[in-house]
Amino acid sequence: MPQSKAGKINKKVCLLGTFAVGKSSLVRQFVYSQFSDDYLSTLGVQLATKSLDTINPETQKAYQVNLILWDLAQVEKFDAVTKTYLHGSQAAIMVFDLTRRASLIDYEETISGFREINPESKIVLAGNKTDLAHTEESRLEIERIAADLSCPVFFTSAKTGENVDALFHTLAQKLL
Amino acid sequence: MSAFFEKILRESKIAFGFFDQDYILKDNSNLLAQYTGGRLQKKSAVLWDIFPELVGSEDKIHDLLFKSIKKFEFEKLTRLTDENKLRYFTLSLFPYRDDSLSSQHLLCIVTDTTAATSLEQQVQQQKNEIRLLHANIATLQNRYGEEIYGKSEKIQAVKDFIDKIAKIRNTTILLYGESGTGKNLVAYAIHKKSMQEESPFVEINCASIPDTLIESEIFGYEKGAFTNAFSSKKGLLEEANGGTLFLDEIGELPLPLQAKFLSFLETKRFRRLGSTQEHTVQVRIIAATNRDLKKAVEAKEFRQDLFYRLNVVSNELPPLRELGEDVIILANYYLNYFSFDFGKKIIGLSRDAEAKLLNYAWPGNVRELRNVIERAVIFAENNMITQDDLLLYNAIDAKKVRVINDTFSLPTGGLSLYELEKKLLLQALERSDGNQTKAAKLLGLSLDTFRYRLKKYNL
Repeated sequence: MPQSKAGKINKKVCLLGTFAVGKSSLVRQFVYSQFSDDYLSTLGVQLATKSLDTINPETQKAYQVNLILWDLAQVEKFDAVTKTYLHGSQAAIMVFDLTRRASLIDYEETISGFREINPESKIVLAGNKTDLAHTEESRLEIERIAADLSCPVFFTSAKTGENVDALFHTLAQKLL
Repeated sequence: MSAFFEKILRESKIAFGFFDQDYILKDNSNLLAQYTGGRLQKKSAVLWDIFPELVGSEDKIHDLLFKSIKKFEFEKLTRLTDENKLRYFTLSLFPYRDDSLSSQHLLCIVTDTTAATSLEQQVQQQKNEIRLLHANIATLQNRYGEEIYGKSEKIQAVKDFIDKIAKIRNTTILLYGESGTGKNLVAYAIHKKSMQEESPFVEINCASIPDTLIESEIFGYEKGAFTNAFSSKKGLLEEANGGTLFLDEIGELPLPLQAKFLSFLETKRFRRLGSTQEHTVQVRIIAATNRDLKKAVEAKEFRQDLFYRLNVVSNELPPLRELGEDVIILANYYLNYFSFDFGKKIIGLSRDAEAKLLNYAWPGNVRELRNVIERAVIFAENNMITQDDLLLYNAIDAKKVRVINDTFSLPTGGLSLYELEKKLLLQALERSDGNQTKAAKLLGLSLDTFRYRLKKYNL
């Protein structure tokens, strides 16, 4: 892995999940502290980067991690183009919409496809849109998925910023 | 590079950069700057800094330089222009060497594809918006379905109540019932049967809004009424003028506000926050609660006068466990609904699935049934839902309820239900080491209901 000129550790992270779950909004909130209610469908890739100062909890050493966030359109099939996009990712954030249970469909295929390309990668789940009305069962379902996959889960709101920093900071720590 | 070639490339919207084996930029066309956000100004700019998209693809790029790979490409990458618009491009990398170079170099070509890809994005946008609208419509139809399903006597009694009360448009109605019994559905059914087509139905959950905001939500406010009140705003009462205001979880309405709300019920007049001007509205009020409001009155948590004013016409909605075969009717309704919504071909419930549904106590009532069926449809691998597809979170089933019925009897001298419930909550918490989710399951309650009861007893 090349070090960037500034001496940061670069880490490629993909955002996965079906359409309109708030992948772009999470990135936008985290990187630019902005939110828009307007829905703009992502096509291809939108890249954003943000550096975080973080500490390795085991060694207590401080690091600057440069997260390179790949905000991808919904992955519908693992064709050559998609594989190229996902190749070399150290982590993925699988985003669900708490208000739309249909967003929980096909996550297994997406995650197994991602892990096939990046077997050593880390996965973190985000149940997004906590600011909107949703059922306790949606949360439980996502918690069950997290338990099955043995990965952390955060319930976030890209609108209010709830848990957004925690999501990315935890991911950055896991990448050390 | 000559101005001649620079002109050709610019007109073709093609930019390029040329990197050595240390990935340092050696030469580039002027147009490349549009894709690099100022990063070309650095001395010895590195490939990864100019195109962060290439982080993670180091192995591929190494192979371009040192193995026989001819090309590596990313399609549909984006940059924001100075006008904050998206520019789409394809990034292609090739190995390159000529007589003037002592070693293999890397040629990086950027092709602007904004015109074609923007069109594709617009089509995708339309498709996704249609899918979202479909999902939203389906949710609303489900939430406020016009039909109340079921054939049991208890459901028939609810339907009769709706028919009778719909004819009297100005009566306040109070609906009781456990969480998930469909109080909002009944409220909407009353509204639909008694109001004009375009009359508003406005709903507020009194428990979901902080005490400090609920007054301004219901009654509205004038500009300057409080910090950040930069403009005047109508409250929900005004929004519901000519229709129905449904106040769910009315038992959670803060005490200080109860007096103001009672005053409105008596006079149909109110003032916005920060205003001396009175407004009058014609609104039917339907309130609902899963609390015992009489107990709340005794505990001085709810005003007695407001209770009597609301309780003019009331109805208790039956829990799902008392509706017998209606569980199957409702399950089939949701099965068809979600099969359509998720594009799956599921034809019905197997006999063992039906038996499992009938033998469950449904502490979360219809809301829980809906979620169980939704999940089953999502994960079902065959065209029939079997008992294995039905994941019941709250592990207390009807058999256990029957065990309680058979073994527990009221002591001769009676008991304090208040104290009993409090003790059960504490015991459940103790047995689950303070884990509220587990404690709620032990008592067959949803987490929301469990938390509500903890709050009720100040635990």
